[in-house]
Amino acid sequence: MRISEHPILKFRRGHRVRFYFDGQEMKGFEGEPIAAALHAEGVRVLHYSEAGRPRGFFCAIGNCSSCLMMVDSQPNVRTCITPLRAEMDIRTQRGRGVLSGEQSEDRES
Amino acid sequence: MTERAQIVIIGGGVIGCAIAYNLALSGADDVMILEQSYLASGSTGRCGAGVRQQWGTRMNCILSRESVRRFETLNDTLDYPGDIEFKQRGYLMVAHSQKEWDQFQENLKLQNELGIPSQALSPQEATEIVPILNTEGLLGATFCPTDGHCNPFYVTDAYAQAARRLGVQIRTQCQVTGIDVKQGKIRGVQTEDGYISTPIVINAAGAFSQHVAVMAEVEIPVYSERHQILATEPVAPTLDPMVISLSRHIYCQQVPHGSFLMGLGDPDELKSTDTGHSWQFLHNIARHVTELLPPLGELRMVRQWSGSYNISPDSQPILGKGGPEGFFLACGFSGHGFMIAPVVGEALAALVLGEEPPVRISQLDLGRFARGDLIREPSVV
Repeated sequence: MRISEHPILKFRRGHRVRFYFDGQEMKGFEGEPIAAALHAEGVRVLHYSEAGRPRGFFCAIGNCSSCLMMVDSQPNVRTCITPLRAEMDIRTQRGRGVLSGEQSEDRES
Repeated sequence: MTERAQIVIIGGGVIGCAIAYNLALSGADDVMILEQSYLASGSTGRCGAGVRQQWGTRMNCILSRESVRRFETLNDTLDYPGDIEFKQRGYLMVAHSQKEWDQFQENLKLQNELGIPSQALSPQEATEIVPILNTEGLLGATFCPTDGHCNPFYVTDAYAQAARRLGVQIRTQCQVTGIDVKQGKIRGVQTEDGYISTPIVINAAGAFSQHVAVMAEVEIPVYSERHQILATEPVAPTLDPMVISLSRHIYCQQVPHGSFLMGLGDPDELKSTDTGHSWQFLHNIARHVTELLPPLGELRMVRQWSGSYNISPDSQPILGKGGPEGFFLACGFSGHGFMIAPVVGEALAALVLGEEPPVRISQLDLGRFARGDLIREPSVV
């Protein structure tokens, strides 16, 4: 489910690339938000709260923390505003993220 | 009609509330707290929430040791329906210079002599307690397992609720505008909402204590300095103790919620009661903290705030009588008032009521500055 035509906005789409969601191979367009690519692949649960409640795509502007996921071992990545890249390893986050101890230059700041 | 009180405490922080509770517990009637904003709105609610006993002066060691004992049972003592969140996960104090390391050895001797279970650790041993610690340039560390942290809002609330049950009146949003002194005696307090007649005033006004003292015609040698704090997003438990470096002027801890709190003592900070904040602080603390605890570089900050240290010339509090008859001081806590509040509350109450305090605090009186009896605390951030 993607908007391909819009009366005002134009979508410049990147290449179709492969990525992994909890180890499962998926496809999306490079540069689109990770959460959008997951949504198009039918993934609705991105994160579980400390209490174990499922959390999905919500504010879509990087504010609400509902879409925090592990991306390439980095916890708490806001997938609604982080662009998808080829071969990304994206994982459902359960509760608080765990510091990986590895610095990443990809991290949104 | 003139309102009356037996004792008026100016300041509804943890110190004011602890004093009020202990006064009422000892049988004092008509105790009133006047707070210009809300309870814990000043330095108490803005502090780094640490509780440490690893100090360099005898008085700071004793006051903090005695307070730790009280924090351990405070929920029960105050019959608090909540939890003050006292967690004893220790303080790790790291040394990067010989001077610092030598000072730590002296501190350890004093602390151990006073029954504080602190110990020296090699860099290797320090990483067993804090695996994410960068040991580059580290000479050693000291660790005290019974140090920890506690929630300043809940502690203040616990004292305030217990004080209210004992009949203490707490007025918030009530600013003191003057103190009535006649013939060297306290007569009353003028507030925005009217005059309160009282023979005793206790100055527990934190960052504003020097202004309150002037109202009672006393000058006290303290000033306020802004100290900023940064909080990160929460992550899974990673850091047990508070990590503190005196030479780099930083401290950092992970609170139960998962956020990291960190603060920096910047010599160029504003010397005022200002509680704004700056991006320069974020830049500095991020640099220092990620040098010491590199994995924290992965974290985003979520907010920052600041509060005031009320600093005395020897970084020890000023406790006791000062100026006109009936005027008492509990100020100049120099950034560590919260952690010694339980015993300060008891000591001040005893002093005001003419009883024997649980800890001898006579050397912390205002007179020490005139006498030149300063014992400077070497271990402050």
